Amino acid sequence: MDNPEQLIRKGVHHTALKEGAVKGFLGGLTWGVVLVALLIFGKICWDGVPTLLKPEAPFVDIGFLTKETETLHVFDDSAGTRHSMPASEYHAWVDKNGSAAVFNEQTYAYSGGGIAGPIIGTALLTLLSIVIALFFGVAAAIYLSEYAKQGRFINLVRLAILNLAGVPSIVFGLFGFAVFVLAAPVFTGDPADRTLLAIPLGFTYLSFQGWNSSLIAGSATLACMILPVIITASEESLRAVPQGFREASLALGATRWHTIRKCVLPFALPGILTSSVLSLARAAGETAPIMFTAAVAAKELPWANPWVMLQNQVQALPYHIYTLAARIPTSEYTQRAQYGSVFVFLMMIFIFSALSMFLRQRVRSKLKW
Amino acid sequence: MVNGSSTTVTPAIAIDTLRFNYGAKQVLHDISLDIAPREITAFIGPSGCGKSTLLRCFNRINDRIPGAKVTGGAIRIGGIDIARPDLDLQVLRRRVGMVFQKWNPFPKSIYNNIAYGLRIHGEKNRKLVDERVEYCLRRVALWDDVKDRLHSSAFGLSGGQQQRLCIARTIATKPDIILMDEPCSALDPLSTLKVEELLLELKKEYTIVIVTHNLAQASRCSDKTAFFYLGKLIEYDATQKMFSNPSVRQTEEYVSGAFG
Amino acid sequence: MPESSSPSPVPAGHPFRRKGRGTDGLIRAFFGANAGLTIVILVLIIVFLVREGAGFFPDYRKELELYRKAGLEFVDFPRKDLTAHEQMSSLLNRAYFAQVNSACRREFLRSAEATAIVTYVNETVTPAQSALQRVKEGVGEGGEIPKDLQASLTAKYKELAAKAIAGKAGKGLPPAPHLTSEEVTGLLNVLADRDPLSTEDPPFITAVDEQLAAKKAEAAAPFADFKATIDEFSEASSALDTLISESGDVVKATKEGATLHEIEITKRATLLEAAAKTNKPELKTQLEADAQAAVTTEPVDFKAAVEPVLARMGEFRDANATLGKSASEILAKLPAKLEDEKANRYLSAFRKALPEYQNEVGDTVGKMEAWKYDLPVGLGSTLWGFIAGRDWITGGEWQDFYGIIPLFVGSLLIAIIALALAIPLGVGAAIYTNQLAGRREQNFIKPTIEFLQAIPSVVLGFLGIAVLGTLLQENSTKDAFSWVPGFPIQQRLNMFTAGCLLGLMAIPTIFTLSEDALNNVPSAFAEASDALGASKLQTIFRVVCPAAISGILAAVLLGLGRVIGETMVVLLVAGNRIEIPDFSEGLGVFFQPAHTLTGIIAQELGEVPFGSVHYRALFVVGLVLFIMVLGINWSAQRILHKFRIGHE
Repeated sequence: MDNPEQLIRKGVHHTALKEGAVKGFLGGLTWGVVLVALLIFGKICWDGVPTLLKPEAPFVDIGFLTKETETLHVFDDSAGTRHSMPASEYHAWVDKNGSAAVFNEQTYAYSGGGIAGPIIGTALLTLLSIVIALFFGVAAAIYLSEYAKQGRFINLVRLAILNLAGVPSIVFGLFGFAVFVLAAPVFTGDPADRTLLAIPLGFTYLSFQGWNSSLIAGSATLACMILPVIITASEESLRAVPQGFREASLALGATRWHTIRKCVLPFALPGILTSSVLSLARAAGETAPIMFTAAVAAKELPWANPWVMLQNQVQALPYHIYTLAARIPTSEYTQRAQYGSVFVFLMMIFIFSALSMFLRQRVRSKLKW
Repeated sequence: MVNGSSTTVTPAIAIDTLRFNYGAKQVLHDISLDIAPREITAFIGPSGCGKSTLLRCFNRINDRIPGAKVTGGAIRIGGIDIARPDLDLQVLRRRVGMVFQKWNPFPKSIYNNIAYGLRIHGEKNRKLVDERVEYCLRRVALWDDVKDRLHSSAFGLSGGQQQRLCIARTIATKPDIILMDEPCSALDPLSTLKVEELLLELKKEYTIVIVTHNLAQASRCSDKTAFFYLGKLIEYDATQKMFSNPSVRQTEEYVSGAFG
Repeated sequence: MPESSSPSPVPAGHPFRRKGRGTDGLIRAFFGANAGLTIVILVLIIVFLVREGAGFFPDYRKELELYRKAGLEFVDFPRKDLTAHEQMSSLLNRAYFAQVNSACRREFLRSAEATAIVTYVNETVTPAQSALQRVKEGVGEGGEIPKDLQASLTAKYKELAAKAIAGKAGKGLPPAPHLTSEEVTGLLNVLADRDPLSTEDPPFITAVDEQLAAKKAEAAAPFADFKATIDEFSEASSALDTLISESGDVVKATKEGATLHEIEITKRATLLEAAAKTNKPELKTQLEADAQAAVTTEPVDFKAAVEPVLARMGEFRDANATLGKSASEILAKLPAKLEDEKANRYLSAFRKALPEYQNEVGDTVGKMEAWKYDLPVGLGSTLWGFIAGRDWITGGEWQDFYGIIPLFVGSLLIAIIALALAIPLGVGAAIYTNQLAGRREQNFIKPTIEFLQAIPSVVLGFLGIAVLGTLLQENSTKDAFSWVPGFPIQQRLNMFTAGCLLGLMAIPTIFTLSEDALNNVPSAFAEASDALGASKLQTIFRVVCPAAISGILAAVLLGLGRVIGETMVVLLVAGNRIEIPDFSEGLGVFFQPAHTLTGIIAQELGEVPFGSVHYRALFVVGLVLFIMVLGINWSAQRILHKFRIGHE
């Protein structure tokens, strides 16, 4: 070899400096993003924790989680002391002291009491939507992975899934409003004026007049939105089940459906459920689709029987936060409700996401065939 | 040392009691061996014997693998220990080129594949680059096939052509040594023959080390052959002697096809 | 065995013979139907968007026709000049005030800060103070306040005041970087020692205000001529203004009459229909009588109604000439250059806009003369009015316009900011994490960024309102940032804030997909590059990134799709002003509020009457949005397929 001494580096390389600078720059960008994420999390915790946690037992502000949303009244009494209390307490106070004792009264809508209504509403919306989406989604995934052969129909289905996944949430809101709220079929003896089509069935009518803004309409809208995610994830889990399982079962003379039921679904189930937890987080977090299909700013607890509940509007955490953020000016009296709701909401989402991440790791490491 | 080089020329690569680990697992045991310049040296042995690992030590491409490291001994190229901390890795790799088992042209045009090595070493003169590209393609007997489509994707070539393109890419940076890691294992016989012809042609200018599974190939084109087994160098000698009259029984069994 | 196209059936009685019809076919059909559901949903989305939106154009056309017939369009020709004139005057005024205020920026800030402190303290002591006042009013003019009450309330006042001054009540004292600490202490001392009943401002405030006024007068003195020129220019429109408001009233009355008549006709039709349906004779007569009574007005004679307005054409012409004259004279009177940079920018913006303005004013008379009340409005021009319309005005009493441009521009500008942030950060972070970071670093970075993705948009929107908006606005008043165009920020909620948050939302999308793309680049490429002696960065930027470029591009496009389609953040943070932003501000345009395609649907759908033109317009906006996002996603898919790197 000629000039082997070339192999030895002399002094600090110009390029090495450049490489270090570029690496530092990219690292700075990355850690900047990470820092922002942590800052957001920290900010919400910092402002939200004081609302929800207390220094003395039971350490959690139970009332905030279990009470209904109320209007907050802030006023001075005749001795110049400032009070702030939710509507129910306020009325009791006025009954006791008389309305002449109230001065400089200000009211902050939705800022008093707790957030039990929104929590329950979100839970119902999410659960119902995930049940609907899982039923249809898993069935569709079974078709795609077990029955389908290459062809026009399948290509069309895949195209639809792909495109559905990209549809903006507000368009889902419009869709849910036009379809579920205004045009879904109901049985009624007295079709409304705006019905699209009323089919007489003798004793009643099948009228396409919609479900109104209701829990069921909102859930159906959310279910449509998370359907592509569920289908894709379920299909992936189904495909991860080794082909040998199916072949062994079919070779024993089992029918296709029996094979799927006994030898494929049980092994794919953990994966399917994991992905549905992530969808749960997404469905819980969306606001735009439920704005016109289910959510309402104020609603009293408790709700009557489940059948009536389905047909009624509900409060929902994301919509509650939207109301608190958009309709009410921030002040020291609204902070508790605002940051408290955001904190509870974020914790819910965070727990769901972390759970799904954890489950995904577990399923991946456990299911190795 | 089992059998030192018989020539008096300074070796191109001198390996001195090299030990090498993947994590806790030792894969090379006290290998010592000198590789003579402007010759073809073939490494043979059954799968997992460490011959590729040794080859990959010569340009320290093993550094890419987490946990892989030299745990003893040294490799000297041109008298310089390539493990020394002030070694310029980029210069080492430029001067010790490598051709891989599976051809791996970049997803670029044929021209840019070859020009890449020149550009990363700071060659900006277009004319020089053009000349060098043509020269390299001629050397690997690819020029006539591709001169009309220099700027189309390299993936349009056949497997054998892609592998020759990779060789051309390697010689473009004017290396002293070319390492070849089973360059023909994925090629059909006709392409293999072409690559072998090319090797004999290139030998005039470059020191070539080739790892191969194909004993016939080793006997056809190499000057010296080293036989490895279970991470140890069993025998190292002139190819002719290795295949006709090996001095170790294991070598004899291997070259006669008794195992491996 | 001879080959046959269809095998012969299994003989009866053979064990292979199928017994009965299997349910497998049914089950298969059931699953197939579920798979088909996705297609159904997609089709339903399109069908219903189109169904609800389709009625928009005929309805809107009808509205536009009435707009023309009643003569509103005629009055709007000169009105456009008037608006343009107002904008031109405002540019000059802004130039003037920017120039004057730049000289007394410090005094202005001092006054604002001092006032903020006083307001803050006043608010804190309000409970005690107003209680004291009430007590005093209660006892009357000459009466004596009970001593113990007085004492307790005063003590309370003192306590609150002390708390406020110490900064303990709420967030602490407002910042006052332009006041010296002695001044602040002095002010606070005065406030602390103030008589509990006094609400007067401390003398320091008056002093600061006086300083401000003096400085302002001093700064304004050299520009008195300029101001006079501006005022003269502004005055030129007064004749036109009166004229328009008078004829505006006339045509508006025509329109209202026509609308009322329309409503009555509809009502009659409904009543007659009901009468035809019913089979009770007395109800029928009743309904028919009601129907006859429903129409109380005569159909409007548009030709006669518009006559008085057209008769004033001569006046319009004169007013227009005045406007044109003032425009042609102004250029000579303007100062060549102003000292302040911002003021100069406004001035040159004025100069640039002037020829266009003059053209517009010049064209008006021609347009007005050519105008006819009975020209039909084509469907094409209605469509054009939607696609290229520069106004989205709803719920007004003059005329509603549905032009998508302001919304589209808002969406676009916000997307530009978001991508300008998210592309470098997302792709940079992906490159770093995938290629340069150590394993432990990766294990921290990836989940954190995934967590960012999990944050619901409404939470980010809330943070934008509560934290980011205020933070940006407060910092924009700092002296160190005064060079940034658009600073200090006028509106707390603006496109920039929304863009930042949307960028934050797009980062995880771009990051995850880019990282996948980089991960999918075969390691053989990097190995080959390393073996050629390339440095780490050369390998990354010349081999790995180019090989992953299609994936990265697709990631960026999908990020764009997410940004365009996102609703809650823009609804909460973008400021919701439906106007085309003022581009004369240069880059400062990004600090103006705007409305977006998504935001308008979310904001207005809940409030519009079902089936109205406005309702349908929102569905058309939804359709536009849907098509846009579909197009973006489709291009992303195409890029992925087309440029998939050829490796086996």
